[in-house]
Amino acid sequence: MDRRGFVKLCTGTVLTTAFSQSLSSRAGQIEAFPPAKLVKADGSPLKASEVGLNEAMVFAYPFNGIPCYLINLGNRTAHPQAMDSTDDGVFSNPEGVGKGNHLVAFIAICSHQLSYPTPEISYLRYANEGSELAGKPGRIVCCAHGSVYDPAEGARVESGPAPAPLLPVALDYDAATDGLTATGVVGKAFIQRFFKNFKGDLIERYGAGVYRQDVGETTKAVPLSQYSAVVPAC
Amino acid sequence: MTDNFNRRNFLKMSGAVLAASTAGAAMSVSGSALAADTSAAIATGLKAALPKARGPRLVVVGGGTSGLTIAKYAKKEYPKFDVVLVEKRDMYSSCFSSNLWYAGLINLEFLANHSFLDGATNNGYTYFNATVTGLDRASRTLVTSEGDIGYDFLVLAPGISYDYDKIGVSDVDTMTALRQKYPGGFISPTEHVTIHRKVQEFEGGVFVQSVPGGNYRCLPGPYERACLIASVIKKNKLKAKVLVLDANPEITIKAKGFHAAFNELYKDIIEWKPNSAITSVDVEKRAIKTEFDSYTFDDAAIYPNVRGSTLIEHLGLMAPASKSTQKEANIDTRFYNIVGDPHVYVTGDSRPHPYSKSANTSNTEAHYVAKVLAARAQGKEIAWVSPRTICYSMVNANPMEAISVDAGYDYSAEKDAITGFSKDTKTFENRDTAKGQATLEWARGIYRDMFEA
Ligand code: FES
Repeated sequence: MDRRGFVKLCTGTVLTTAFSQSLSSRAGQIEAFPPAKLVKADGSPLKASEVGLNEAMVFAYPFNGIPCYLINLGNRTAHPQAMDSTDDGVFSNPEGVGKGNHLVAFIAICSHQLSYPTPEISYLRYANEGSELAGKPGRIVCCAHGSVYDPAEGARVESGPAPAPLLPVALDYDAATDGLTATGVVGKAFIQRFFKNFKGDLIERYGAGVYRQDVGETTKAVPLSQYSAVVPAC
Repeated sequence: MTDNFNRRNFLKMSGAVLAASTAGAAMSVSGSALAADTSAAIATGLKAALPKARGPRLVVVGGGTSGLTIAKYAKKEYPKFDVVLVEKRDMYSSCFSSNLWYAGLINLEFLANHSFLDGATNNGYTYFNATVTGLDRASRTLVTSEGDIGYDFLVLAPGISYDYDKIGVSDVDTMTALRQKYPGGFISPTEHVTIHRKVQEFEGGVFVQSVPGGNYRCLPGPYERACLIASVIKKNKLKAKVLVLDANPEITIKAKGFHAAFNELYKDIIEWKPNSAITSVDVEKRAIKTEFDSYTFDDAAIYPNVRGSTLIEHLGLMAPASKSTQKEANIDTRFYNIVGDPHVYVTGDSRPHPYSKSANTSNTEAHYVAKVLAARAQGKEIAWVSPRTICYSMVNANPMEAISVDAGYDYSAEKDAITGFSKDTKTFENRDTAKGQATLEWARGIYRDMFEA
């Protein structure tokens, strides 16, 4: 709260020194990672036009153990704005991509207490049709403690205990093929903290060291309802 | 005059209860401290085996939700702090979520597979396994079973103690027997293990779950437990009922959701009796009296009234009866320091605030108090922020279904008091499986927040 208030008052340069401890060298912007083309479960390229409205699609990026959500905002569009993160300083979320600038992507880890989708269950979901928690459509909700994020506003926190927005994933859109490629994220420090928190689980799921490795040239995107066996509808 | 009289009277009346509940609840005070004058605390002169402080020393007493969260976040907010967490237990096990275990929804590992050592290592502070026996505020020395510790800032987060006196049980023999055979299950892990066995081995008859008056720990806890015991009874098709003896005229929180569960899921199993404060218990005969009725039971979890930890009283930090009728700490409403002493703070369930005494309240309060400490260590002050009470109650075990509340609180500067729930308080009282699932993640999140980096 304090920190956020402080950030608002400060200019970019002051910030860099004030938060040097928690800032990566390229804070304030998306950090590039080796690009990964989004593909479907069968390995064929995912087309932007194939991203449904109803639920998020899950893909791993930039590392095998980092789940991201690809969201079709429908007729809403994403607005870049200045944001403050818990671990990675200030940044600005990217514009939406696709023909109507309606596709956005975020690291699917709640900034509150790090709930994230697993093959067993996801407490975090994009609720296009609305939800008890959000009370309105088109929000990302976290059942764990009731945080609500608005994906059209850089996934800023709309209500609940989350201290910071979900972190953005940069997407490249190729109009010729209607294809999507993930190119970078904000969240280097956050990802390290996530890995520390869930080391045991991630080793069990992916293998020791494997969850930390780059996803490679392609990454599979599947609807959340296929990715997680249970998706509670809070 | 009046104050003095009241206070003395108050103390005298509850003297017996005090001694017993201190010993039995294995609270943080050793037998010898009981004999000591409440205001006196003599440093032993033996220094605790701790490295020399490398910055302002913050000593946090109590490795529960409040203490663990403060130790971690004070260090995060102000890395110069040299933080020592003093905890009498050598093994963590949470009180929150323990009800879920009784119905087999989680295992004991869920509650207990969290290491004090790892919490300290992950977050740059020191875990010190010792029991507090005294405090000398003049020399800023905390006295423990393992030696003295000097502090610049001290946070006491010792939780609650039981107050059997308030349910008419004031002779030590009855109290000891009651606490041992029919524990409340809202303080220590060993109580949870006993209640777990009771529920799992229950084969029929009447199981009494009592609900105390006053501001007791975990308002929905006894009702949730009634539901989960009833779930087990239902599953095992037992000829049995859960008798809920409620001191209050109405279910104290999420009443709609609990009434719905009682009526729709456990119509013939749960019998809820409002206005039924216990006035006496005969442990041998397994008989309970309330003002107008008497009952016998086959097994029970008797939840007596709740008070601030006896440690607060023994260290001479108790609020006058005009400020707390539950022997809680005499602290500033917004900043948690002992009135007149900016070096000593009391947080968590020994606070006198009307907040719900719950894990989420303590966790969010601790985030704020960590900021208060960090600011004060740097000669600054920050604005008050309300804690948040987000809490789920599992009302059905098969399948898991829950209800929930998300509450904040209002502060009145004029009264210097918490005046009620904030406007954005919401309840979600339609039980469903989504909230049932979320109940588990709610707890995992808090464990992460306390123990992980
Ligand atoms: S982890 Fe998402 S709201 Fe707490």
